[in-house]
Amino acid sequence: MPPVISIASLEKTYQSGIIRPKRVRALDGVSMDVPSGSVFGLLGPNGAGKTTMVKILLGVARATGGEARLFGHAPGDPDARKRVGYLPEKHEFPDFLTAPQMLEIYGQMAGVSDTDRSRRIPQLLDRVGLSHATDQKLSGFSKGMLQRAGLAQALLNEPDLLILDEPTDGVDPVGRREIRDILVELKEEGKTVLINSHLLSEVEKVCTEIAILNDGTLVRTGSIESLTAADQTYTLSCTPIPDDTLAALKDILEPVDASTTQDGKRTTESASAPGLRRYRVRPDDRAGLNAVIDRLRRDGVEIDEITPVRQTLEDYFIDVVNPRDTVPA
Amino acid sequence: MLPFLGMLQLTVRELRAKKVIWGLFLISSLVLLIVTFALNLDVVDGTLASARIFGAEATGGIDLENLVFAVQSIVAGAAYWLGILLALFASGPIFTTLLTKGHIDLLLSKPISRTRLLTGHVGGVWLTMLGLCVYLLGGIWLIMSLKAEVWNARFLLSIPIVLSMFGVMYGVIVAIGSFTRSTALSLIVTYGLIVASLGLAAVTQITEQLGFVSKAVFLTLYHTLPNFTEVTTIVSKLSQGEPVSDWYPFLSSILFGAACYLIGGIKFYRRDF
Repeated sequence: MPPVISIASLEKTYQSGIIRPKRVRALDGVSMDVPSGSVFGLLGPNGAGKTTMVKILLGVARATGGEARLFGHAPGDPDARKRVGYLPEKHEFPDFLTAPQMLEIYGQMAGVSDTDRSRRIPQLLDRVGLSHATDQKLSGFSKGMLQRAGLAQALLNEPDLLILDEPTDGVDPVGRREIRDILVELKEEGKTVLINSHLLSEVEKVCTEIAILNDGTLVRTGSIESLTAADQTYTLSCTPIPDDTLAALKDILEPVDASTTQDGKRTTESASAPGLRRYRVRPDDRAGLNAVIDRLRRDGVEIDEITPVRQTLEDYFIDVVNPRDTVPA
Repeated sequence: MLPFLGMLQLTVRELRAKKVIWGLFLISSLVLLIVTFALNLDVVDGTLASARIFGAEATGGIDLENLVFAVQSIVAGAAYWLGILLALFASGPIFTTLLTKGHIDLLLSKPISRTRLLTGHVGGVWLTMLGLCVYLLGGIWLIMSLKAEVWNARFLLSIPIVLSMFGVMYGVIVAIGSFTRSTALSLIVTYGLIVASLGLAAVTQITEQLGFVSKAVFLTLYHTLPNFTEVTTIVSKLSQGEPVSDWYPFLSSILFGAACYLIGGIKFYRRDF
């Protein structure tokens, strides 16, 4: 199946000022594909070029180089946008309208027929949890409610591609869970979702693949599972390892950094299981891991648990993006 | 077509939410009510036997036709000056709101071309103003015609004239707004051109006093900028049932407006949001 979004050597330079023109390179030769049916996270620090990329895809901004295709169409082609639902980050809905009135107008603009609008608007308001607020004007909505209304707006034309810019921004934990559930449902329906977000924990929960942009360039892309898996590293929880055993295995076994207990002492003792200690094991391969286990058992160490170490997406993101450039969301 | 109609509807609703538009509607309604109930004409065999305004007998020999023309002229003049100035004040911010981040990108994400989006917006503004013009000027014409049985059909031409001149000045807002996204600057330039037209209207008297170069500059401005003030004469003549001998100020203003829409449209089409 061809990718829903295809980007090749995409470049964008913004120019401002007439007398002393100032040029800012927002995208510098980015190439990537968003496969059909994926929930794709677009990550990066502020100013990385994420929003610029989305704007180019939707024809809101124009590329200065390279090529972007949306369902095989050029950006800005209304035919491609018929299949897209979009929720911008800082949306400005007409606040003198109620949610159904807003959906009615944006539905018309999305080319949704009268019959479909009258059927889908109540359904969507119910789906995003706004059916109780149909008589209330948007000016009286909280940020979370506006976000839900925006999501309903983006879903109105039953899009094949949903582009969401910070979809859970300002939404309470319950609302975030509900939005996440909707995204999972959409994934199950085979829709493609592109999420541009700073909330890495949210992205980690719903996305199957990610791309990390930094300073206008693509730094990494791939599935979250493959990117966050740390190579052959395990956490071992066991009874204290004798010093001579530890010395013999020092190249592949080391105590985990000591933590501070309530009485102020430094210890590597597991907080959840008193009497047990935690170690980091870095064998060359599976056979090496088994050799370590054999040696420990032989020296009388009782093993409680061995778990592979997996980085959180946040850890991975910080590792990949220069921390000095990272602005906390 | 559906996205275009959606844009049209959005603009009309945005204007409907403006208090100034409701103010214009209420003022128009008040004028229509006053003319309907406070002006009583007693017409016998096609001539005015007596006229009462707010119950008081109008003294002096008043010609029926002149009375109708005077009422229509006053209302059309007020609609032209006060109406257009207030309508620009109400609709000016609508265009820059359209260009707000978070609003324009959402609209552009819909399956509608930029040209249609802008046309839908301008169409919505014009449609609203047409509604107000027809309500006030058409209403006055109908009431006075029924009361006096003087059917001055030429007066109805003042509706497209008022609407067109509003459209010309709104074109300035579109052009300036497309470049600057500033409501204040758009309105300042628009009102500035209206004020400048007061000077341009005295073209004959002023050019007599000027030297060769300054005269050429003044005449260039006269032929280039909208002749908002001079068009008042056309509206006034139409209200009084007189033929219009010189349509040039109106036509040159229309050309200026078309140029503004063209420049604004090109910028709107090409810019990044």
